[in-house]
Amino acid sequence: MNSGVAKVKDWILGRHAERDELAPEENIIDSRLVDSMSFIELIYVIESASGAEIDFDTIDLADFQSLAAIDRAFFSRGAR
Amino acid sequence: MTALRPVSLTAEWMAAARAVESEQADALFVDPLARDLASANGFELLDKYPNGGLRQFIWIRTKFLDDSVTGLRPADGIEQVVLLAAGLDTRAFRLDWPAGVVVYEVDHGPLVEEKQRRLDRLGAKPKVPRHAVAADLTTQWLPDLVRAGFDPGRPTLWIVEGVTFFLTPQQAADLFVTLADASAPGSRLDLDILGGALLRNPFSRAFLDAMRADGRPWLFGTDEPAEFLAEAGWKVRELKEPGQPGIGERRWPYAVQPRDRRGANRLWLVRAEVVSRG
Repeated sequence: MNSGVAKVKDWILGRHAERDELAPEENIIDSRLVDSMSFIELIYVIESASGAEIDFDTIDLADFQSLAAIDRAFFSRGAR
Repeated sequence: MTALRPVSLTAEWMAAARAVESEQADALFVDPLARDLASANGFELLDKYPNGGLRQFIWIRTKFLDDSVTGLRPADGIEQVVLLAAGLDTRAFRLDWPAGVVVYEVDHGPLVEEKQRRLDRLGAKPKVPRHAVAADLTTQWLPDLVRAGFDPGRPTLWIVEGVTFFLTPQQAADLFVTLADASAPGSRLDLDILGGALLRNPFSRAFLDAMRADGRPWLFGTDEPAEFLAEAGWKVRELKEPGQPGIGERRWPYAVQPRDRRGANRLWLVRAEVVSRG
């Protein structure tokens, strides 16, 4: 896991004291680890870790549904 | 089977949320009637919609609007308080009301009747002169309020809690114009309004779709509540969000986003005063 995704993972686990692990493919939306109020914080964590700017008007929920999806969408583009 | 219509199921849902908070050791408020008023329906809905921050918001909003009532001072000159679409609100029974104030609870007839039945069964006694007004808020309801004793010539505190979500933008604008027209100088309007971004947020979609499917769609929100209310004749005195200092910060599990941050879900808590004309 690259360091950017690790920061995202740390942020999610930091919000959920009951959890100490998060699998790359676990759906963080269905499991409510990230919800409609905290998503804005997730976006800023991703922006801060990736240096990318996320356009709110074209957000695709699929890009945020797991650590693996976030990795593919925001951290591994150059490797594709 | 319930005697209440879908929007009244929402009232039971809100009562269930108030019941849960009331039973916390460090509760923001205590509503001893809420659990019985909510019935099983309310708790089912509370479990069905565990969406981000909703129950915390209900708690914080309740406290914010409680403070609007208990913070009234004789110098404010407000002796009538109107709870619009009051639902199963029990402020008349649980708050310490300033002397000389009369409260009007407005909601549709079947809810008013069912609420009274439940209150009677619980032996609840109001702590303030209270008038329950059966009216249809989608039509000309003001005459019903006046017939119950409301005087548009005297300053009023209007409390519009959890109402505008369910209106179209035009209905919301019309409502606040109606209230301004019925407000003597010194009148206040305290309420909550959804942020506009919340209604567009893809992370809200599952919740919003479920609300729509259940017949209670959220329709209206704005990211510029002060401007919206100004158009209708109201000047915002306080514009707050949950989690700010003094606004339920120990209950709010999210970071308060700076106002200039685009795309953030906002849940506005507002205190406004009528703009005097002429």
